[in-house]
Amino acid sequence: MALDALSDVSDDALLVLFANGDADAARLLNLRLTPRAYAQAMRMLRNRAEAEDVAQDAMMRLWKIAPEWRQGEAKVTTWLYRVVANLCTDRLRRQRSVAIDTIPEPEDGRASAADGIQDAARMNALYAALDELPERQRQAVVLRHIEGLGNPEIAEILEISTEAVESLTARGKRALAAILAGQREELGYSDD
Amino acid sequence: MTERDLDTLELLFDAARHQADDPSADLMQRVLDDALTEQRRQGVSVSGGVARPRLLRQFLATIGGWPAVAGLATASVVGLWIGVNPPATVADTAEAYLSSGADSYLVDMMPGFQFDLAEG
Repeated sequence: MALDALSDVSDDALLVLFANGDADAARLLNLRLTPRAYAQAMRMLRNRAEAEDVAQDAMMRLWKIAPEWRQGEAKVTTWLYRVVANLCTDRLRRQRSVAIDTIPEPEDGRASAADGIQDAARMNALYAALDELPERQRQAVVLRHIEGLGNPEIAEILEISTEAVESLTARGKRALAAILAGQREELGYSDD
Repeated sequence: MTERDLDTLELLFDAARHQADDPSADLMQRVLDDALTEQRRQGVSVSGGVARPRLLRQFLATIGGWPAVAGLATASVVGLWIGVNPPATVADTAEAYLSSGADSYLVDMMPGFQFDLAEG
């Protein structure tokens, strides 16, 4: 089946096609999901090599589970978010502090050198602050405020209630704001 | 913690959301290679879209593959031909056996080949 013909097919239907040996379904799932898995891992780990390992590992788990996937029971993206979050958490447990020099340099052409340094400094500050949060708070805050997911989906990923998600994100946000208090000018934000 | 701190945090979240973290071509290729390898490992034909019937393959493996199928086909045709046009010794033997029973009949399907009706 051509990729174009599959473009409107849902992720879980593609997974069933994949399990039936459709190589185009594999290609399309790779194009749809690997960038998401990688971006999520990158935001959580701040390390390109580790994020690639996690994304590849998470996708491998998806390929392996494909023959048992029951269509309509769960969203593939939710399942993948959960797997990536757990894999990242395992790595963060092993290596809690993330070295600043592992944060990638801004790519050429996207911004001036000064802007790039400023962006890197802001991200360093944000992720350093996130590192100080308890694990579940950190996960909830990243999923809510950086990945942009809704509370019900986060609840499914973290396997907790929606109320618990609200509580975690609210506490996490307050803690982050307290950690970053007074750094506004330092991070190059003006009040205009 | 002030409104200003929360506002700073929102600006940082916004910057994080807009960070472009595209996966490398190498990662995309590795993941695709994993997928196709896993499809082969799971025993389905890749790119056909439909799994091949496994029973046929198991049967062929049991009897020794396609050469064994050719042998079987030849034996079947020879057997059928012997049935239709039996050599004299086969016909005599058959008649001897079948005519020994009181209610046995030999029915000649092709009279042109001199097959006699035997009556007990």
